Amino acid sequence: MKSKSLISGIVGIAILAAAPLYTSNPYYIHMIGTIMIYAILLFGLDIVVGYTGQVSLGHAGLFGVGSYTAGVLFFKLGAPLWIIIPASIGVTAGFGALLALPALRVTGPYLAMVTLAFGTIIQILINEMDFLTEGPLGIKVPKPSIAGMQLNENGFYWTVLALMVISLVVVDRILKSQLGRAFEALRGSPVASDCMGVSVYRYKVYAFVISAGFAGLAGCLYAYSEQYISPNTYNFELTVLFLLAVIMGGRKSRVGSLLGAAIIVILPKLLDDLEMFRVVASTLAVLMAVGGAIAVSKKMTTAKSMALPVVGTIALTGFAFWLQSITDWRLSIFGLMILFVVYYLQDGIVGFVRNLFARKGPRAGHAVVRAAGEHQDAIMKAAAGAGQDLLIAKGVLMQFGGLKAINQVDITVKRGTIHGLIGPNGSGKSTMMNVLTGIYVPTAGSIEFSGRSVVGRTSSDIALSGIARTFQNVQLFGEMTALQNVQVGLHHTFNSNIVDVALHSPRYTREEAASVDRGLGLIEFVGLADLANEEARNLPYGKQRLLEIARALALDPQLLLLDEPAAGLTAPDIKELISIIRKIRDHGITVILIEHHMDVVMGVCDNVSVLDFGQKIAEGKPAEVQANEKVIEAYLGGTAA
Amino acid sequence: MLSIKNLEAGYGKVQVLHGISIDVPKGKVVTLIGSNGAGKTTTMRAVSGMIKPTAGEISLHGKRVDGMESYTIAKLGLAHSPEGRRVFATMTVTDNLILGAFPRLTGSRPKGDVASDLEKAMELFPRLKERRNQLAGTLSGGEQQMLAMARAVMLNPEIVLLDEPSMGLAPILVEEVFRIIEDLKGRGVTMLLVEQFAAAALKVADYGYVLENGRISVHGEAAKLRDDPAVKAAYLGGGH
Repeated sequence: MKSKSLISGIVGIAILAAAPLYTSNPYYIHMIGTIMIYAILLFGLDIVVGYTGQVSLGHAGLFGVGSYTAGVLFFKLGAPLWIIIPASIGVTAGFGALLALPALRVTGPYLAMVTLAFGTIIQILINEMDFLTEGPLGIKVPKPSIAGMQLNENGFYWTVLALMVISLVVVDRILKSQLGRAFEALRGSPVASDCMGVSVYRYKVYAFVISAGFAGLAGCLYAYSEQYISPNTYNFELTVLFLLAVIMGGRKSRVGSLLGAAIIVILPKLLDDLEMFRVVASTLAVLMAVGGAIAVSKKMTTAKSMALPVVGTIALTGFAFWLQSITDWRLSIFGLMILFVVYYLQDGIVGFVRNLFARKGPRAGHAVVRAAGEHQDAIMKAAAGAGQDLLIAKGVLMQFGGLKAINQVDITVKRGTIHGLIGPNGSGKSTMMNVLTGIYVPTAGSIEFSGRSVVGRTSSDIALSGIARTFQNVQLFGEMTALQNVQVGLHHTFNSNIVDVALHSPRYTREEAASVDRGLGLIEFVGLADLANEEARNLPYGKQRLLEIARALALDPQLLLLDEPAAGLTAPDIKELISIIRKIRDHGITVILIEHHMDVVMGVCDNVSVLDFGQKIAEGKPAEVQANEKVIEAYLGGTAA
Repeated sequence: MLSIKNLEAGYGKVQVLHGISIDVPKGKVVTLIGSNGAGKTTTMRAVSGMIKPTAGEISLHGKRVDGMESYTIAKLGLAHSPEGRRVFATMTVTDNLILGAFPRLTGSRPKGDVASDLEKAMELFPRLKERRNQLAGTLSGGEQQMLAMARAVMLNPEIVLLDEPSMGLAPILVEEVFRIIEDLKGRGVTMLLVEQFAAAALKVADYGYVLENGRISVHGEAAKLRDDPAVKAAYLGGGH
């Protein structure tokens, strides 16, 4: 699989590299060059849109910053290429940070609006700052020189190709590293990312800045390619085209970015000429009919739902042959085609093809079965000192409006013990977990963990100091595999920076291999070894809960908070869970357990606290609590097991 | 009332159900038993149209419903209380319940007296009555579970799919949930039930089906399954 894509990649590059030898028409060479330049930008935009799930309408602006950095440096200082390229990347990444730091505090439509405003401001600034940018007059930029030789059209084309391939490899490596996993995780579940020590805000900003860097590189090359830049190029339409390219090509895919770039460059040109348009429409109709037939025969969809698009493309072909002149219809047809793709191919072209040829059976991935004794214990031993107070909460008050969800609760948990937290639904147990992990800041009271206060610290900071948790409503990163989920938990074991990742330095390779090994070990520990390469969202509910435990253990926690781990488990699964919890304790890890299954609570807990209406009504050994009148009345009921 | 024949379904590349057949007669309670990953929830989802079956037939009142959209199936009188508390977090408890009756309000199901059914639903779950004006997202997990179940009842359905109704509930409320299921059964509501407390489920149910790796291994009257030594050993475990 891997070698196959490598070979097709090399063949693709070879074809692209040979293109200038086949045609002497500079028009086509320039067009392919433009596609590759756009592709560089789209690789970066896909990091933000496809992986972190943010919408940026500011990328045309960033593209413009890159172009004008190149233009101004050349025009004012006559700087050479080897200075201009890094400068464009650096300056644009700087602008990206300037935009991202405030903008990424907000999400969704607000983020779209802020980035849109940014793009507009950049365009206005370029227009107005004519002392630097020559304003609407624009700047002429001749083709660059390398080693004193000015590049001709072909030489520049090969330079762009080389930079595109480098960008592709670097982006691919970033996305397959711990950075890429962090980006995907924060989209899957922001709250879980924070609680795994991966600060959502920080990694959103990283993603944006990296993306801006690629936009800068693309902008710089674009300036050389066009040989003339002016403010009008970097307008709102371009930003929308970029977004469309990512969506149409297929998000989370480098091939998708290339395809998307090709579409937005070629399609409008094809529509210039009626003959061309007829060919395109006919090809589309044939492709659609064949694709539809395959999809129906594979039972992926019904003949009924495929009928409309097939008939639609055939009608378009008919329309093409009926038309006498295309100029009046160009934009409408372009719009229709885009609408069609976005509506019918929601995973983009790459996603559609992938689904069409999806193979049944297990995915290729990391070998799951490893020789016995090859790896050491996957769970890190917790620090010694059993019996000392690990967590001391005093007078904790959590108020939401008039509601006191937790009212003056004191809880002390000793190192190396399993502490049960039970109580009726709505009594404040999960709120307590959220307070301990920094999701809520308590209204009053103090919480000390290992001698340090946690009040007011961020979730990711608290997580890194040794408190890991699972969630009552499972919070896995759905589109990532089981192993990748655990590797997000292992994020703290990485010291490699982006340069290590791009170059695959020994440090990065070592850390990545170690995280795979430990990740598989943890997955094995919770009994999911044969599901390591399955996407988390495809696991059954009970197994998702076990995977959450494995991911939490990856943080090397001193304290593990389990929120209803047995919910939805059947009797035999519960026995398995009890033995897992005991093994975790045997590694010296302290556990706080919220659970409604009394056999679990009674079976493993050393101490139990009972909450009711936000107040602690009982505390003690499990047997004492079970016999407590108040607890029976409020919680256990008459015939409880 | 509900009949499933040779149903096959799955997610993406993973096939979960390998041809199962289940009959739910009118007014009866049928329970599905099986370990995690056996395909209980997948069956429920296929029946209510949340996923499309790859083969087989599902019919409601003799009418084929496989391949239909969820909202169309709901209009035919099938309510689904999904696993894992899917409530409308930014709406109040009352609004959540009224939305459960949506097909009745839009005229695609007999209207009846929505206001009095709302009161009845709140009587069933007094905890919800106390919190009627609170946003569903601010309820505790267990309360959301109750809300999901009460919302299903608001459809005035002919058949209810209950997926793990007691999950995450305090022991005292688990008893309550089974009392409510009995109550609904007494009112003639047909039910397909998935429960972690298999023993308790077999007590309230008329028939049971045991799922193993996406296939039905045993089925029959609930009382008989309860005494089946193999079922006992594998699923009923100790306690409860």
